[in-house]
Amino acid sequence: MAFVLTHLVPGDPAVANLGDRASSDPVAVRLYREHFGLDKPLPVQYVVYLGNLLHGDLGESEQSRRAVSTDLAEYIPATAELAITSMVLASLLGLTLGVIAALNRNKATDQIIRVVSLAGMSTPQFWLALVALYVFFYKLSWAPGSGRLDAVVLPPPHLTGLFTIDSLAAGQYDVFVNSLQHLILPACVLAAFNMGLFTRFTRSAVLEVLENDYVRTARAKGLPELTVVFRHILRAASPPILTVVGLAFGNVMTGTVLVENIFSWPGIGQYSYRSATALDLPAIVGVMLFVAIVYILINMFVDILYGVLDPRIRVA
Amino acid sequence: MSVAALRHPLASSWRRIPGAWRQPVAIVGLVIAAFWVVIAALAPLVAPHDPLAQGAALYQAPSAAHLMGTDELGRDVFSRVLWGARISIPLAMLLVALAFTIGGTLGGLAGYLGGWVDELVMRSADFVFAVPTILLAMAVVAALGPGLFHAVLAVVLVSWPGHARVVRGLVRTTMQSEYVAVGRLLGSPTHRALVVDVLPNVAGPVIVLAALEIGNAILLLSALSFLGLGARPPTAEWGSMVSTGAEHFEAWWIGVFPGIAIVSVVLAFNLLGDSLRDAFDPKAIIKARGA
Repeated sequence: MAFVLTHLVPGDPAVANLGDRASSDPVAVRLYREHFGLDKPLPVQYVVYLGNLLHGDLGESEQSRRAVSTDLAEYIPATAELAITSMVLASLLGLTLGVIAALNRNKATDQIIRVVSLAGMSTPQFWLALVALYVFFYKLSWAPGSGRLDAVVLPPPHLTGLFTIDSLAAGQYDVFVNSLQHLILPACVLAAFNMGLFTRFTRSAVLEVLENDYVRTARAKGLPELTVVFRHILRAASPPILTVVGLAFGNVMTGTVLVENIFSWPGIGQYSYRSATALDLPAIVGVMLFVAIVYILINMFVDILYGVLDPRIRVA
Repeated sequence: MSVAALRHPLASSWRRIPGAWRQPVAIVGLVIAAFWVVIAALAPLVAPHDPLAQGAALYQAPSAAHLMGTDELGRDVFSRVLWGARISIPLAMLLVALAFTIGGTLGGLAGYLGGWVDELVMRSADFVFAVPTILLAMAVVAALGPGLFHAVLAVVLVSWPGHARVVRGLVRTTMQSEYVAVGRLLGSPTHRALVVDVLPNVAGPVIVLAALEIGNAILLLSALSFLGLGARPPTAEWGSMVSTGAEHFEAWWIGVFPGIAIVSVVLAFNLLGDSLRDAFDPKAIIKARGA
């Protein structure tokens, strides 16, 4: 599917990548097309692509002149670190706010949380990123500027590619602190949208559970409120919340394109922006495939979690 | 029992709309949204300066003469923000209308006909859902060439499946409901049921979706412009103004004010949609009746 779509678009990658001068030279264009197999008919290109895919070969990026899989392997850890951190932040905040809103339904607290969560979903991430940089980097100098580490700091020895984990594993605490400082601002910006989304869904999921008799029973038994919230309410409300968290992965990818560009974060977001604007088809298809696979894996994981949380689903 | 009494609970949700206005949040949303729509209509009259005129001194901080300062070419930021409403709001509305026409038609057909039509439409929708919106939109704009019109097309292409899903689901549940069956027993053809019974029931949720989608459309459109794939520089478009602001960090007012404009418009439509959703939610209606 991704393959067909990216080839349907009318742009000419040869022209986009060779620049104006070279593309006026027919010999250069022909050589370029032969090199990337673009001179062959589409069905042939597709069969070749599928054959290579089976060997784990995603083709060669027309821009970086490296295998797309090499490019992806380099950029994925950076995005993973950013995306996971932001998802954890968004889930923690969203769940807390959502539960508080539901327990105070239609009171002032609920209305304030409603406005805060909708504000998170209404703020353009590119603008939030710039404001955050302006305030915390330019004005207050609390946060470092762009990139994953200060220019003078060497990356930790490669283990997972996540600098925070790798530096801890290598015992380089100064590198860990530095990478964390670089991580926190883009991760917070990226978390804003999903924080709002999770708050909304947690609120409605909890509201539905609150009406159940067993919640009233639990309270009547005199259980502490926190026990009721965690053991009785949150557990029953978690399946719909988990679904949204799984689906929110798409939002994170959209966010990373913008946030990575602003924070010069060397990840998939920047890579896909460069590839898309250069019409680098193998790279675009590679990113789409990667994202689709992660999307499927995350949602499979969510399905498994359902079973853990609700034994009734397990048999089916 | 009359046929009308068997109508879907959603049909009566129209009566719930006044309830939505009792919420202060809904009123705030409506007021802000209406304010921006008026600004969009009257920008040439209310804006103190020409949005493209480069008369004033460069990089002036906000003052009485220039409420939001001047930008790197000496243009009045306040006037540009007001004119920006003329681009984002009508385009977002047009875009949602287009996405709804395409998605609604496809989803309606899928729900009504079922079979392979349903399969084809819903699998295409799934595909669009699986790819992050901005990735697909970027690829489309990059292929067609940057420009506001192409950006609109790209956003339509990524947003029709949402409408298709909602309309399909509504058509299917309505088709299975008793009153459609009763109508059929009374001898009215099924396509009549679509117009008379299905359409009124679909309208409510669709209005909610449209309000929420306008906000999303403005966000995505401005994001594309920010990346340099939508509106081109001289145009007073909010996303590209923020992008200009990013290049002139010390003059914060160039980028901050257009951003606030985006937040306020999108938030207004989201508040509106969110309150309307509560009002239209059939469960909320049942609860309200029970209480």
